Amino acid sequence: MNGGYPAGPFAKGLAWVTVLYLILPITIVIPVSLTDQRYLSLPQEGLSLQHYVNLFGSEAWLGAIWQSFWIALASTALAVVAGTLCAIGCWRLSRRSTELVRAMMLLPLIIPSIVYAIGLYRYFGKLDLLDRFLGVTLAHGVTGIPYVVITVSTALAAFDPRLEQAARGMGASLSQTLRWVILPRIMPGIASGAIFAFIHSWDELVMVLFIASREVFTLPRKIWDGINENLDPTMAAVAVLLIVFTVALLALDGALRARRNG
Amino acid sequence: MSEATALSRPEARSAGHALELRGLSKRYGSFTAVENVSLRVESGEFLTLLGPSGSGKTTILMMIAGFTTPSEGGILLDGQDITGLPPEKRDFGMVFQGYALFPHMSVAENVAFPLRVRAMGKAEREAKVRAALDLVQLDRFAERKPSQLSGGQQQRVALARALVFDPALLLLDEPLSALDKKLRAELQEELKALHRRVGRTFVNVTHDQEEALSLSDHIAILNHGKLVQMGGPTALYEAPRTRFVADFLGKSNFLQGTVRELAPGGMALQAGGTRLVQAAGAGPRPAIGAPALLSLRPEKIALLGESDAAENMVSGEIAAWAYLGAGFSLAVRTADLGEIRVALPAWKAPIAPAEGLPVRLGWSADAAVPVLEDEGAA
Repeated sequence: MNGGYPAGPFAKGLAWVTVLYLILPITIVIPVSLTDQRYLSLPQEGLSLQHYVNLFGSEAWLGAIWQSFWIALASTALAVVAGTLCAIGCWRLSRRSTELVRAMMLLPLIIPSIVYAIGLYRYFGKLDLLDRFLGVTLAHGVTGIPYVVITVSTALAAFDPRLEQAARGMGASLSQTLRWVILPRIMPGIASGAIFAFIHSWDELVMVLFIASREVFTLPRKIWDGINENLDPTMAAVAVLLIVFTVALLALDGALRARRNG
Repeated sequence: MSEATALSRPEARSAGHALELRGLSKRYGSFTAVENVSLRVESGEFLTLLGPSGSGKTTILMMIAGFTTPSEGGILLDGQDITGLPPEKRDFGMVFQGYALFPHMSVAENVAFPLRVRAMGKAEREAKVRAALDLVQLDRFAERKPSQLSGGQQQRVALARALVFDPALLLLDEPLSALDKKLRAELQEELKALHRRVGRTFVNVTHDQEEALSLSDHIAILNHGKLVQMGGPTALYEAPRTRFVADFLGKSNFLQGTVRELAPGGMALQAGGTRLVQAAGAGPRPAIGAPALLSLRPEKIALLGESDAAENMVSGEIAAWAYLGAGFSLAVRTADLGEIRVALPAWKAPIAPAEGLPVRLGWSADAAVPVLEDEGAA
């Protein structure tokens, strides 16, 4: 921003301390992942990639990564379709009741996930969805909807309603208007929502602990078990990969936003 | 539009379609936006709905387009009721305020949109798009995005897009309001030429009276949701029916008097100590002793020299004046008629205007027009 007050030394210092406070606990896993020891620790005598080698050679770890990836992908698809349609519907009707619907859609964000997980556990037991790929995908997809609703609603708020009128005035049906005018305009919002929904599923642990046990074993679940059972530094290597992956997704989101605003 | 009928009747292409509004009303709760408006636009005609903001002109256009549902009344196209038809089924072209071009499509894609909606083949589509862009002289800009064009060019893209599918009717919602004055004048001429070339029925909405006068075959003047008067530009300017029409379309002085004498061709009024002679207007004949209101255009008043005479004469002094390049605008203070605005050509003006300068004004009996006070006005 131009024209604001320049930050004083105290404010600058505080800002940097905050940044370090946020980043340090994350970056600590990087040296840990390169340790030459056989337990979770900082490197003692030299750096080693043995834990990365171990990771990529381990069927258990790779299986967990793949499972997490497919679950995240499928639940993202679910969240994107449901969330986008919900946001467009609320936007088109735009009544007081739709405000309520939009607020309800945010519930999964507001309610503690452990409460949600208990509820899911009871229901999924009856529906035979416990410890199933479909069950975890449904749980992650539904809780991912708020991210999509928020980003798509924001994109729609900036959408000029006259474009829709123009399209209809030229003879476009609702589905043509949706496909050719509305969706392309709000695509950056949908992509943002998809990225957040993906990340949400990718690192979700609490629900997985409740509704999955042996068959479905996601990456966060594997890390969790690893910490509980043995302090294998392979976890640090996995954590580094997770960080790299998430940062890449956020960078992609940033790039999409920049393109939309440019 | 079916190509077959258009081909078998070549003249039909240039004929356009006739539109009729019958007792159209629109209410929002207790607020009446449009009240009982009936009018007819003949095929190939350029009609302008003119009125101040809040007069209901845009609401009428939105009802014609189908985006707003009338509370009462009907809309007929060539005699067929289309009141209940959704906008996408009406086959009307529309140029929106601010143009509403699709920002994510190129100029050519924008213009091709209505054809794509109609699932027209690629070759035919491309030919039509090229012809439409040719029509508005934008063929060189086909691959650009709307954001890379100037306001005037965007406006022309919107026109091409609205015309490319041979719409039954072209609706224009304040098409020139976003442009600066010089460009607006240029595009007015272009729009008029375009109307002549394509020969379609145009319905335009504006609050700009100059635009309405220069573009339209007919103007419908609206105020508070009601149709006040409709007619050709000259008829409306020369024979306004009410004070509002005279005031809104051009500038006007209003002279108040009492009817003293009536003759077959006119009447005489008394305004204070001044006697005015006035030719009869189109309105109802007033009774002797009744109050009368005259509208007198500033450019129809002459400055009289010492020996000049006119049917109506009044003396006063210049209270204020302004130089406008082509002419002077004078405000002359008179004893009986209040302040009178006079438009005086600057080229070889008989006087050098100065405040306090005494002048004599004169106008003929047919210069002014008797008008009615507005309904509801005091």
